Amino acid sequence: MTTTVMNRGNTVLVPAPAKAGGHVTIRPDDATLDAFAEELDALRAETMSKVGQKDADYIRRVIRWQRGLDMGGRVVMLVGFLSPLWWTGLFGVLMLAIAKILDNMEIGHNVMHGQYDWMNDPNINSRDFEWDNVGDANSWKRYHNHEHHTYTNIIGKDRDYGYGILRLSDDIAWRPRNLYQFFMYLKLSLLFEFGVAYHELAGERIFFGKKKKNSQLPISREELKQAFFRKIRRQTFKDYVFYPLLCFPVLVPVLLGNLAANLIRNLWTSTVIFCGHFTESAHTFRAEDCEQETRGQWYFRQILGSSNFEGPRWLHILSGHLSCQVEHHLFPDVPAYHYPEMAKTVEQICQRYGIPYNTGSFARQYWTVLQRIVRYSFPTRRELANA
Amino acid sequence: MTATHSQQGPALPAAGGIGRWLAETLTTRPSFSSYFAPFMQYWQPGWSTHAWRAAVMQIRSELSDVYSLVLKPDSRWAGFVAGQYVQLTVEKDGAFCTRTFSISSSPAHWQTTGLIELTIREQVGGRITPWLRQHLHANSVVNISAAQGEFTLQQVPEHRPLLLIAGGSGLTPLHSMLQQLSSEVSAREVHLLVYARDSQHFLFQQALLGYETSLSNLSIQWMDSEQVGFIDESHLQPLQRLLECDVFVCGPSPMIKAARDALRVLHVADERVHFEYFGAAPLDRVAQLDASRVVQFSRSQHVLDVAQASNQSLLEMAEQSGLNPVSGCRIGVCHQCICQKERGVVLNTRTGEYSDTGPEEIQLCLSVPVTDVVVSL
Repeated sequence: MTTTVMNRGNTVLVPAPAKAGGHVTIRPDDATLDAFAEELDALRAETMSKVGQKDADYIRRVIRWQRGLDMGGRVVMLVGFLSPLWWTGLFGVLMLAIAKILDNMEIGHNVMHGQYDWMNDPNINSRDFEWDNVGDANSWKRYHNHEHHTYTNIIGKDRDYGYGILRLSDDIAWRPRNLYQFFMYLKLSLLFEFGVAYHELAGERIFFGKKKKNSQLPISREELKQAFFRKIRRQTFKDYVFYPLLCFPVLVPVLLGNLAANLIRNLWTSTVIFCGHFTESAHTFRAEDCEQETRGQWYFRQILGSSNFEGPRWLHILSGHLSCQVEHHLFPDVPAYHYPEMAKTVEQICQRYGIPYNTGSFARQYWTVLQRIVRYSFPTRRELANA
Repeated sequence: MTATHSQQGPALPAAGGIGRWLAETLTTRPSFSSYFAPFMQYWQPGWSTHAWRAAVMQIRSELSDVYSLVLKPDSRWAGFVAGQYVQLTVEKDGAFCTRTFSISSSPAHWQTTGLIELTIREQVGGRITPWLRQHLHANSVVNISAAQGEFTLQQVPEHRPLLLIAGGSGLTPLHSMLQQLSSEVSAREVHLLVYARDSQHFLFQQALLGYETSLSNLSIQWMDSEQVGFIDESHLQPLQRLLECDVFVCGPSPMIKAARDALRVLHVADERVHFEYFGAAPLDRVAQLDASRVVQFSRSQHVLDVAQASNQSLLEMAEQSGLNPVSGCRIGVCHQCICQKERGVVLNTRTGEYSDTGPEEIQLCLSVPVTDVVVSL
C-alpha cells in the first residue's frame, strides 16, 4: 500500500508544468484538484464496498489455472519431446510461459500490493508471497511499493524510469552510450527478471559504486546480498537442474524449453511495463512537484505518469491488469480485477476536469514506446549545439 | 522463510528441512499443501493449510443471546484438556475471520461422541458472533486450531479443593471442567460461584444442577448481580477452607480484577489464583501514557497523533488510517498480525510488559504505543 497523504499548509503552489515529449500540461488549481480527488475517492470507496467473496473466488481460480498450466506445461514438454512429434513439446513451453506470466502478473504483483490481504488467507497475502522469477519478493516490495509508486515518473527519484539504462526524456542529459540504447532495451527486456532482482542492490550500490548515503534498507547489506543469490540459486535449480534431470532422456530440450518459457515471460512483462509508463504522452516530473503534494495533486501526477492499453479480457489478465496502469497507480491496493470497470468512470471524470487520460490499443501504445526509445537515443539540438 | 535457510548457502539443507526447501524451491510456497490449497478450497470452501476441519452438527440455543455450536472435529485433531480454548475460523465474504472460544464440553464427552461444544455469546454489534448463528447450519464446515491454554486443572494438585468463579459466558471453560469431573464421578470438593447479570442469564443451569447429583462434594451458588451486585470479599468470606482452595476465575476483565482484589484482601496467595480473560487484557494496568504520542506507519507514510488517554491498539490505528495489515484473532493468540516495530515503546496488553525501544517484532493487536512509535507498515 503506497498511497501517500501529505498535508499541506495554506501556501499556494505555483502550478508545475508536467512534461510529456514536447507538450506541457498545466496543473489545475487546488480547489479543482480537491474536487477531482473527492470523486476518485468516492469511486474507490464504492468499489471497495463490492470487494468480497467474488474476488476471493476469482484469485483462487486464477491460481488454479496457474498451477494447472505450470504442472501441465512441464508434463506436455516431457511427453511431447519424447514423442515422434517432438514439436508438440513446444505447447508445453507455451503453457509454462503462461503459467509464469500469470504467477508474476495477475497473482504475484497484485497480491504483493496487498490487494488480497483482506482475505486473511495465509497463502495469499503480501507479507509472505514469493513469485516464480529470480527477483526476491521482499526486495521488490521494498523498492516497488514505496519508491516507484510514491515517486512515479519523477526523474532522479523513480529509478524505474528508464532503469538507469535508458534515456526516455530530455530531463536526462544525453550521453554517447544512449546511441545504442535500443539494443540495451532489447537486452533489458530479455533479461527483465534479473533487472527486477538487481534493482534494489543497484540502488544500494552493493557491488559497485560508493555506498548509498541515508540508506533506509531495513536489513543488512549482507542479508540483501544473500537473499539475492538465494533466489537466483533456487530458480536455477528448479528450471535448469531439477526438472531437466527429472526428464532425463530429453534433458537438453526440457532445459531449453524452460529457458524459453522464462524468456517469453521476461519479454512480455517488460513490454507491459514499458507500455505503462514510457508511452509517447506519459509525463515526467521534477522532485519539487511532489513536495507537500495534496491528494488531488498526487492523483493528477499518477494519471499523467501512466498509460493504459485496451484489449480483450485475456489481455488484461495476462498483463495483471497493468493494462489499466492509470487505475493501478490511483488505487494500488484495490483488487486489480475491478480496474477495467473503474477505468470507464476514471476516464469520464478526467474528461470533465480536462485532465489528459492516456489510453490506446496495445499495438499503438507499444509503437510509441519504441519510438520514444529511439527518439531519445539522440541528443536535442541544444545539446548538440553545446557539444 | 526462515533465517536458518539464509545461512545455509548453496549446500543442501539438513534432513527434515529438505521438504520445505524443495517446496520453496519448486513451488515458491512454504509447503506443497500450500501450493495445492486453492484446489482443496475448490472442493471444500474455507479449507486452510493452517487448521483442522470441523463439521457443525447442531446449533443449540442456550439463552436469548447465547448459543452452542456442536462440532465434530476432523479425526486427526489432537484433543484437549478441560479449560482450553480453540480458534474458530470461518470464511465470511471471502475473508477468513478468526475468533477464540473456550470449549464448554468435556474431553470425556469428545472421547465418547467425537463432539465438542463451543458456547458463544452474541456480541452486540459484533461482526462474527451474530453472523455465525445466522449463517452456520448443520453440515456447515468450519476450521478450528489445536486446543491451547493453561487454564486447566492440570496446573494444580488433585487433592486440593477447588473454588470456581464464573462471570457470564466465562462459565464455559469451568463447565468443561465440571462435566469432566462429573464423568469421572469425582469426590473432589468443588465450590462454584456463578455470576450473571440477572436471573434470566444463568447459563447451563439444568446441566449444573445435574452435576450436583454425580458430584457428591459440589456446591453451587447462583449470584444474581441485580440482587447481590458485583463480586466482592463479602461473597467469598463465608466460604470454608478458602485458603486451601485453588481458585479458577473466568469472566470479563473488570470481574477478574474485582475477584483478584477480593481474594488478595482475604489473603489468598496469588499463585493459587488462576484466571482467564475473555478478550484482551484490560488496559487499566497501563501506569501512565505519555501526554502526546505520534505513531508513524513508515511504509505507507501515514502519521497519526494519538490522543492523551487513548488506549487503542496499533492494529486499530492502522485500520483507521486505511491500512489493511494481515490480522486474525485480534487478541494476541494467532500471531498473524506480527509486524516490525522500528522504534519506540509499546505496551503489550496481554503480558503488561513494556517493549524495548529498538526494533523488534510486535503483535499489533496487543500493542498500545506508550511513546512515539514507528511501525513498518
